Amino acid sequence: MRVGLPRALIYHYYYPLWKNLFEQFDVQVVISDITSKELIQKGIKVTVPEICLPIKAFNGHVINLLSKNVDYIFIPRFVGIESKKWFCPKFIGLPELVGYSIDGVKDKMLTIDIHGNREDTCLLENYRPLCNVFNITEKELKKALKKASAYWQEFKQYCMKGFTIEESMQILNGEQMVSNTHPEITLGLLGYVYNIYDPFVSMDIIKRLRQMDVKVITFEMMHEKDIANVFSKKSKSIYWTFSNKIYGAAKVLMNDPEVDGFIHVTAFGCGPDSIIGKLMELDSDKFRKPFMTLRVDEHTGESHLQTRIEAFVDMIKRKKFAEQRRELA
Amino acid sequence: MKIYIGIDVGSVSTNVVAMNQNYNVIFKEYIRTNGQPLDSVKKGLKMLEKNLDHSFDSVVGVGTTGSGRQLAGIMVGADIVKNEITAHASATIQFHPDVRTIFEIGGQDSKIIIIKDKMVVDFSMNTVCAAGTGSFLDHQAERLGVPIQEFGDLALTAKKDVRIAGRCTVFAESDMIAKQQYGFSKAEIIKGLCDALVRNYINNLGRGKNLEPPFIFQGGVAANKGIKAAFEKEIGHEVIIPQHYNVMGAIGAAILAREYIEKTGQKTKFRGFGAADFDFSPTSIECGACANSCEVIKVDLNGKTVAMWGDKCGKWTNSLVG
Repeated sequence: MRVGLPRALIYHYYYPLWKNLFEQFDVQVVISDITSKELIQKGIKVTVPEICLPIKAFNGHVINLLSKNVDYIFIPRFVGIESKKWFCPKFIGLPELVGYSIDGVKDKMLTIDIHGNREDTCLLENYRPLCNVFNITEKELKKALKKASAYWQEFKQYCMKGFTIEESMQILNGEQMVSNTHPEITLGLLGYVYNIYDPFVSMDIIKRLRQMDVKVITFEMMHEKDIANVFSKKSKSIYWTFSNKIYGAAKVLMNDPEVDGFIHVTAFGCGPDSIIGKLMELDSDKFRKPFMTLRVDEHTGESHLQTRIEAFVDMIKRKKFAEQRRELA
Repeated sequence: MKIYIGIDVGSVSTNVVAMNQNYNVIFKEYIRTNGQPLDSVKKGLKMLEKNLDHSFDSVVGVGTTGSGRQLAGIMVGADIVKNEITAHASATIQFHPDVRTIFEIGGQDSKIIIIKDKMVVDFSMNTVCAAGTGSFLDHQAERLGVPIQEFGDLALTAKKDVRIAGRCTVFAESDMIAKQQYGFSKAEIIKGLCDALVRNYINNLGRGKNLEPPFIFQGGVAANKGIKAAFEKEIGHEVIIPQHYNVMGAIGAAILAREYIEKTGQKTKFRGFGAADFDFSPTSIECGACANSCEVIKVDLNGKTVAMWGDKCGKWTNSLVG
């Protein structure tokens, strides 16, 4: 059996988990191609125009999988993974969004609903519909979930050592990785995994920053407890799970003297980001750390993005070196 | 005398300056790019060559900036290739060390740069819309049959205020036609356009920013007295236009080149004024190797490929190494 995973949205966060889980049942996991201009254009064509770029990209990836001779396309419905926090409505309605956008996809959709309060999503009730599809018993599923969860936790450990998601996956596959040696400045890179890690959407922002000798910290490189603890009992946390993680990460990094500034990568039209974007901007003002928003959509020009990143990094480097010179003098 | 050259290749103009050791601008030329960035740079270099005393002056550093900075940098052999924000700010800080806010309006982009203690602390640039820029004014001047050089002076003669929607050039145009039909004079319409441009600029770029004086206004549009007056009215404070307002980016590139040469002690990579005679041809190819269809820019110098960029995967960029 061949099951397709669209290389989009929450894939970037849970890929090791699903791959491990499916392969335990001798399922062949097929991943869609890396986002390209053509792939995204196909997604745009079938999607309602006013929706955000990540959803258009997701549809493009689903279309891509349809041509790969798969039996199923895995499209989970993410409702919640922690108590009293939810996913953006587009995640909750994702199977419908895809099903009504793309002809001929409904018969191939493999959908499960993710509820509960586990970050690893590995509750038996979440994955129970797989029993019929894969022809396995609940007991077998339970055992496999446990294994997959452990595998995913290992992946997360590498992330927390400062490796990117891609690097952590490579380490998991036995490759050697070296962390960057002598960064000149450190930036908090704030944004959802599907924006930051899609090389087309973010135009490889991590690579660009590293080429400028910048050390990059993203939310998944930080310890979850640190992020959760930053919200005191009195202050409200954010209603959306991943928005809360990003805002929490920003709050922790604001207090970190190593961090010289922030770049927020957001998709045009993102509702939750319109709130946390402003909150982070206000906080950065308070902590006197430079903050820049990069708003991306399908029309974003590469040279413009490069100019902004260069100017932002330059500004921070020049300021930092001037301060260091003053201290030496 | 040691000379530093700065080149700013923008969408509308290409500017070439030469600066001596005392930060004096000894040559400056503002050339309309007209879609021919390389020819404009060549023209600028030739003019500069004629103006230098070659027994006495020697070029020790070259910097490029602007949207065509990469291409121009390869052509002339630049020591540094810098973004426009850093370049503009460096120039302004040199001539007005106490500056706090820079308004820069160029042909197709506009920026606000916030400075504190001679350091850039914040900036914003327009994104995809060119509503508040020079090309907008150029276009409207043409429509009204007023030479752009006279635009500003005419605005100052307006007796009444008329409000023109400036959020989008397309709507501004239809609003302008409507106001003409109401009987407002050309001068009043032009003043209305200046006000609309400034309002749009401050609302888009200045939002959420603390704009403190001294205000410096530069870029090609700073030649327009009507815009300067509109700025002063909008922010309620004097706006200073620097002496070399239309070539500040190029000056900044020269300053940054000097900084770099002095810091590293390197010899300049400048190809010499002969660069103006080189057979330099950039071509663009659409790579068909994958679904990204990247637009790859290829630059040939005397028949030999010297630079390639624009590919996502690095296939072409890396093909030149070694």
